[in-house]
Amino acid sequence: MKEWNLLLKKEWKKVSVIVLAALLLAVSIIGQGYLFVTIVDRVFVEGGGLSAVLVPLTLLLGVLWIRTGVSTAIARTGVRLASRAKRMMRERLLHKISGASVGESGQVEAGRRVSVFMDAVEETDSYFSGYVPQVIQSLIVPLFLFVTIAVIHLNSAFIILATSPFIPLFYIIIGMKTKEKSEEKVEEMNELSGKFLDILQGLTTLKLFRKAKAQKETIETSSLRFRDATMEVLKTAFVSSLMLELISMLSIGLIALEIALQLIIFENMNFFTAFFILILAPEFYNYLKQLGFAFHTGRTSMGAASKVFEEINKPEDGMQWGEKELSLSCPPHIVLRDATHRYGEDGFYTGPVSVDLTPGKNLAIAGRTGSGKSTLLHLISGLMPVKEGTIEVEEEDLHEYREDEWMNHVSYISQDPYIFSGTLKENIIIGAGGRSSPEEVETALRKAGLYELTQRLEDGMNTPLGEGGRGLSGGEKQRLALARAFLKDPYIVLLDEPTTGLDLETERILSESLTELSQHATMITVAHRLHTIREADEILFLEDGRVAGQGTHEELFGTVDEYRRMTTASQGVEVQ
Amino acid sequence: MKELRTVLALVAREKKDIWFSIVFGVLAGLTTVGLFGASGYLISKAALAPPLYTLIIVIAMVKLFGFTRALGRYVERLFSHRATFTILSHIRTRFFEMLEPEVPHIFRKYRSGDLLARVIGDVESLQNFFLRVYYPPIVLVIVFLSTMIFTTFFSWMLALLFFLGLVIVGVVIPFIATLKQRKSQYSVREGRGILSTKLAEWLYGFRDLKIYQKQEETEADLRKSMETYEAAHERQQLQMAGGEGWNLLASLTATWAVVLVSVWQIGAGELDGIFLAMFIMISLMVFEDAGPMANVPRHLEDNRNAAERLFSLPGQTGRHSGDVSLEPFGPLSFSMENVTYSFPESLTPVLQDATISFPAGSKTAIVGASGSGKSTIQQLLLSMDVPEAGRIKVQDKDMQRVSQESVWKEVNTILQESHFFYGTVRDNLLLADEDADDRRMKEVLERVKLPHLSPEHPVEEKGGNLSGGEKQRLALARIYLKPARTWILDEPFSSVDVLTERELMQDFWETAVHDTVILISHNLKGLEQMDNIVVVEQGQVIEKGSYEELMEWKGYFYRMKQLENTLIG
Repeated sequence: MKEWNLLLKKEWKKVSVIVLAALLLAVSIIGQGYLFVTIVDRVFVEGGGLSAVLVPLTLLLGVLWIRTGVSTAIARTGVRLASRAKRMMRERLLHKISGASVGESGQVEAGRRVSVFMDAVEETDSYFSGYVPQVIQSLIVPLFLFVTIAVIHLNSAFIILATSPFIPLFYIIIGMKTKEKSEEKVEEMNELSGKFLDILQGLTTLKLFRKAKAQKETIETSSLRFRDATMEVLKTAFVSSLMLELISMLSIGLIALEIALQLIIFENMNFFTAFFILILAPEFYNYLKQLGFAFHTGRTSMGAASKVFEEINKPEDGMQWGEKELSLSCPPHIVLRDATHRYGEDGFYTGPVSVDLTPGKNLAIAGRTGSGKSTLLHLISGLMPVKEGTIEVEEEDLHEYREDEWMNHVSYISQDPYIFSGTLKENIIIGAGGRSSPEEVETALRKAGLYELTQRLEDGMNTPLGEGGRGLSGGEKQRLALARAFLKDPYIVLLDEPTTGLDLETERILSESLTELSQHATMITVAHRLHTIREADEILFLEDGRVAGQGTHEELFGTVDEYRRMTTASQGVEVQ
Repeated sequence: MKELRTVLALVAREKKDIWFSIVFGVLAGLTTVGLFGASGYLISKAALAPPLYTLIIVIAMVKLFGFTRALGRYVERLFSHRATFTILSHIRTRFFEMLEPEVPHIFRKYRSGDLLARVIGDVESLQNFFLRVYYPPIVLVIVFLSTMIFTTFFSWMLALLFFLGLVIVGVVIPFIATLKQRKSQYSVREGRGILSTKLAEWLYGFRDLKIYQKQEETEADLRKSMETYEAAHERQQLQMAGGEGWNLLASLTATWAVVLVSVWQIGAGELDGIFLAMFIMISLMVFEDAGPMANVPRHLEDNRNAAERLFSLPGQTGRHSGDVSLEPFGPLSFSMENVTYSFPESLTPVLQDATISFPAGSKTAIVGASGSGKSTIQQLLLSMDVPEAGRIKVQDKDMQRVSQESVWKEVNTILQESHFFYGTVRDNLLLADEDADDRRMKEVLERVKLPHLSPEHPVEEKGGNLSGGEKQRLALARIYLKPARTWILDEPFSSVDVLTERELMQDFWETAVHDTVILISHNLKGLEQMDNIVVVEQGQVIEKGSYEELMEWKGYFYRMKQLENTLIG
């Protein structure tokens, strides 16, 4: 992972702390063994009393504390490292998302991003908090132990040299064998683990078909099958650690045998050396074994990390903005010259569109579902980048202006405005950037037909609206969007007309509001109502992203067949 | 512990696996201690140049210990993990049993998406309960006590030291860690929830935030939540590392004390020097497994909270099905008298004083804008919930006294959103008729204009691989397989193209010619032949009558119709 290595380089201080601590750890493990052995040697072999071991005893306490200290320091630094890495990844993800254009913020897409941001990033934790510190320790500590053992008794070192390669070798063999199997199982496990949620989600349906009670068994069988599949995967992991345990035990046994022979048969080794090696050898294999476990966790988190970086490294599709100011006293003059949008490299095309939006003009965009109407609206509003052609505002390229300078003049009224968690009032004054007097808010509420509602509510304008705006009907949401627009008093109004009929009251308010807003604003409407297009100064009729007709209703009605069909056939009512 | 009672009862069902986990855990623990103790003894013995055969015996024992330990660990892991997943299965089924009677009205109370995500998370987190909280302390205590008993044969003092060590490592330090953790008010779990919600909000509201130039402000706020969460998470992890550190310190210090006391007792002639190495090794090993004990209370706390959230959830609605059964087979009649209903969190009543009658065999359309209360009428007629005020009758019997099952048996319904299960088309159709064979399924798929779907066709989670129109038609196919003479359909064709809709409608009316039909509709097309059209607006029934009557009155329906005629694209 290139990015991670970079991160480790950036966090070199923390990495050096771990390295330093691992060095100290190695020294303290050796020192601890040495002191234990010294004490036993003096007391047991030489028959000394407490006074003979007072110094090594005191030193031992110190060494034990140091060992504790450095172990904890390594663990804590690992935690900090992981935390830094996660922050870095989340920062970059946020940056990425905030720079992206609006087109990518669909529901599914949003859900996926939340999952990458929350879960995938979290899964990388063990790489820095577990894997990295463990690798550092497992590289340093065994090396020190090996050198120490080699210095005090060369034969043991040879045995270690001969046996220890089996541990990584074995891990590689097992890893290769199990990888295929576990990948195969993982799919089954995912399927089975989703079953419970699937049943809970569909419980209403199940009940209506009177099949709910039988699902208890399904849950049980799928849970037990999940268990069995998981156990298969775990079993191989457990077997591999069993084998590693046995390998290291056999190795230690070999070392012990050699020492025993030296000690008893050849009598050319003293107790001190023998005991010392016997204390150090298990530690050596222990750290080697742990490296194996660490690799396992490392691999899982690397999978998660590649997901995160894939997201971060996606090609940019964001908007570029300039530094120019835009001060207006009337609607600006907007000209589109062959403006085109394209999703990705060779995705869906919208455009080219050329249209002259003189101040106060009323433009309608019409077409069937999926013909690119919303994309065009996003393009004009500066929410999506123009890939080819230009949009000029007051004789300057739109993207020469500062983003806020432009957006300050724009209102976007959609049929499903986003309701933030906050009070009704907060949800409305967001339209004016939060700066508005109570009178202004009231006026906006009245114009949007929401005032009576606030009067009926116990908490009035301070009624909390939940996430997603629960508690508001479609009509009320539409009015809220209107209230936001009234408060902002924009020069450019972008309207995504409701595709279906609202309640009549809201329909009336909508049409009156638009008339009022259009008096001093340029209107660009994705039209779903006949009277909207008939009243438009100009209509853009889209088919598959291309402009299939442009002009007034009368012009299009006479020349474009598809347009005529659409405006007449839908209800079987003659309108012309 | 009250919260965990249900979980404990479920754990207890796996007696065999629990026993095996504990027995083999203890075996592995004891042999570890034995292995190292014996090797300490062995090396000391060897130093005295004893006869070879005694050494061979001890070496053999060490080997045996080694193998037993490795195997014991293996078997323990096998059984404890098996038990864990079996227990997870019990928790799921138990929870399901509790939730099942509460559905669907519990989903009207809570947003089901959030609710279920939470449930899944809590169930998953309970898998730690057996593995980290339940049996490891038992194993630890048994190993410790055995070691102590063994030690008493040599020295009371050392045994006492081991006991002291156990108390400090197993009780005192975990307790302090818990206290420390309780002090921090901010819960990492909640922080995570807040962050995830804010992120989702930011993403969903992205366009509006851009327009209102609030996007950076919200992003900054999000960053702050992220920072808070990361900091809290880091603090928690540091605390855990700290707890384990303190445990290590106590363990090693205890070992040191063992050395000190042993040396002193050897000097006093109360202990043979040959055992010194043995006790050092024993002490090092017996304390090694105690490290994770520091975090047992934390897991316990998590599990307790999860169990509380989980098992207190059902049983809150108090809705009970009646026990009167309906006469089998035949179109049902319904009546609503002055029915009022509201959601706990909605601003205004969803339904207010609604009076509608649906005679057997009649055809009724309920029309109105979104959020006007149409779907609530459907839910009430399906006995999914009870009204706040007013009476609902089915076949002239009080709905609350009629068993829900018997209503559902007689009614074919399509809800606003149909659920499809992961599997195949066949799996989803079998719900309606267990005995349906492929020939019948193909017939009915043909009938709903889905000839391209075979019974083997895979269906992804929530029907993710089907288009909206396909889902609607599959839902229709599903109810066509179920014999019932009452139909309550919520916008069954809203995503189907006009031509297909006309054909499906025609086919449907032929099927249901003598049946009771209640059609909930957003659009006003094809309502000419309905016996009765009910117009709902803001929870109130504002107009009732036949198509001709309503058009003649030139009231709300008439104006809605006018409006609809001007909709395009």
